[in-house]
Amino acid sequence: MTQAPTAPAAPVAAVRIRRSTRTSRWALGPTAIILIVLGYLPYGTGQGTTSMLVDFFILLTLGVTWNMLAGYAGLVSVGQQAYIGIGAYGVLWLAQHGVEPFLALPIAAVACAVLAVPISFLVFRLRGGYFAIGTWVVAEVLALFTIRDSALGGGTGTNVPGLGGFDPVVLGAYTYWAALAVAVISLVGSYFLLRTRVGLALTAVRDDETAARNVGVRVSRAKRIVYLAAAVGAGGAGALLAISQLNVEPHNVYGVQWSAYMIFVVLIGGIGTLEGPILGTIVFFVLQRTLASEGAWYLIIVGSVAVVMAVWVRKGLWGIAERFGLRLFPTGYHVTDTTR
Amino acid sequence: MTALLQLESVSKRFGQVLVADSLSFDVADGATLGIVGPNGAGKTSLFGMIAGDLPVDSGDIKFDGRSVIGLNAAARCRLGIARTFQVPHPFTGMTVFENVLVAAHQGAGLRRAAASNLAMEVITETGLDRHANTAAGRLGLLSRKRLEVARALATNPRLLMLDEVAGGLTDPEVAELVAIVRAVNARGIAVVWIEHVVRALLSTVDRLVCLAIGQLIADGEPRNVLSQQRVKELFLGTESTVAEVAQTAHAADTGGTTAPREPATES
Repeated sequence: MTQAPTAPAAPVAAVRIRRSTRTSRWALGPTAIILIVLGYLPYGTGQGTTSMLVDFFILLTLGVTWNMLAGYAGLVSVGQQAYIGIGAYGVLWLAQHGVEPFLALPIAAVACAVLAVPISFLVFRLRGGYFAIGTWVVAEVLALFTIRDSALGGGTGTNVPGLGGFDPVVLGAYTYWAALAVAVISLVGSYFLLRTRVGLALTAVRDDETAARNVGVRVSRAKRIVYLAAAVGAGGAGALLAISQLNVEPHNVYGVQWSAYMIFVVLIGGIGTLEGPILGTIVFFVLQRTLASEGAWYLIIVGSVAVVMAVWVRKGLWGIAERFGLRLFPTGYHVTDTTR
Repeated sequence: MTALLQLESVSKRFGQVLVADSLSFDVADGATLGIVGPNGAGKTSLFGMIAGDLPVDSGDIKFDGRSVIGLNAAARCRLGIARTFQVPHPFTGMTVFENVLVAAHQGAGLRRAAASNLAMEVITETGLDRHANTAAGRLGLLSRKRLEVARALATNPRLLMLDEVAGGLTDPEVAELVAIVRAVNARGIAVVWIEHVVRALLSTVDRLVCLAIGQLIADGEPRNVLSQQRVKELFLGTESTVAEVAQTAHAADTGGTTAPREPATES
């Protein structure tokens, strides 16, 4: 005979919980204004600005999703370019088979999640540094498979059909809106994921994996959810690359430099926060734009910044902001009242 | 009463060190059991094996009549096995409330208001209500130990394993802790407690075992166990054994093993 434990001896309390913070409520208005301005931008500015922002949104999407992987799930992947490649080639292949490229974008992103399921079972057998190298190997293997297919342009790549019919201005605007949508979806998606029960469990995994297991967190399942979501993000970014560059080139889309960018953006901004990668992307983007003409100096400066941040500012730029109680995306639970 | 937890010939060794040598014992549903023993006796490893953090080399562990050997720590927690860590493992970036809430979600399988109410109840029960919104990383040692207990309780366990939760606390703090543990047990939760602070054990448990080199060298009524000659030699010790224990602890530290240094004796 078993005896079920009875309810705690403490009086039953009804707990009231607030999930926003003062800064987040203040930030709501400005965020909405920024989004509206960004949405109307193609009507007001030239192609130069919007195509630059497309690159920015691609980088932002990659940073946000890599931060979920490494910052929350503890999965330090250097192989997300696998999904950038699949996303880009997905758009190419679908366009070759008569699918509208902008419709191919979400299909290719979802295809990345499907592909990520078997790959996750393979790479999740590895830990730490082995996981990192394993993901890179998977990306290289996928790249090798891709360049063997001459219909996809072999080792040199090929143009994405179906984009020539657009007026260049209209195409630029559509590409911009698609990129804005992908970036916003990955940010909002990450935010809402983190606010759920799974998100709280992930935050626990971020802080202490052993303790998380011991309070019942299904760690592998939580990590797999993030891995699949990050694959969708990288796939969307890859699909955007294919559309914005009008062609797909294997050494670009499967390049390990993407992983370097993601790591840089997240380290600079602050790992394990949602706000960090946004800040990191802005900093990286400004550095890239202003130093692009400086050749080797660009790499030296960007590298030095990364070293300084990694050694002295471990929590990144947002870590400094957080010390002042700033929080744009509150995912926590604040107990305001317990009535008895 | 039926046995809630059954260990059958459980063995485990780390290289040359034997931490469980064909160990067998039962814990009855709703019972209290204290575990004492010298450093390196395998007490914490025992918790690790029961909770699923540490695989056994051989033998079987049954919970509620069912073998849990094939289950990971998360699955065992959901069945009702909860443990605390000797060195607290708080989720440092989360508040006390969030630390406990995640346990109510994942371990007890609750949602929304049911989860937050249970979380707040155990926070109140463990005396952490003032700190509900404090980041766990900013808590002092006493509060961290309480948080360990609160988090384990929020998983709605049937078996609570406490690992040295009284170490380093003052007398009034120990008394408070004992009151909490007794209240938990009064709710029908079985308690297994590893503790060097013997007076805390004596005022809580009905049964005491002494573990040394992976074996049970004594098992029974607490005062009886403590009065046995071998237990005195091994655990309570004379001056010389205290010195030996200190020496082995020092050797363990310098030898690079993971055995944490503990206060040699307290009686």
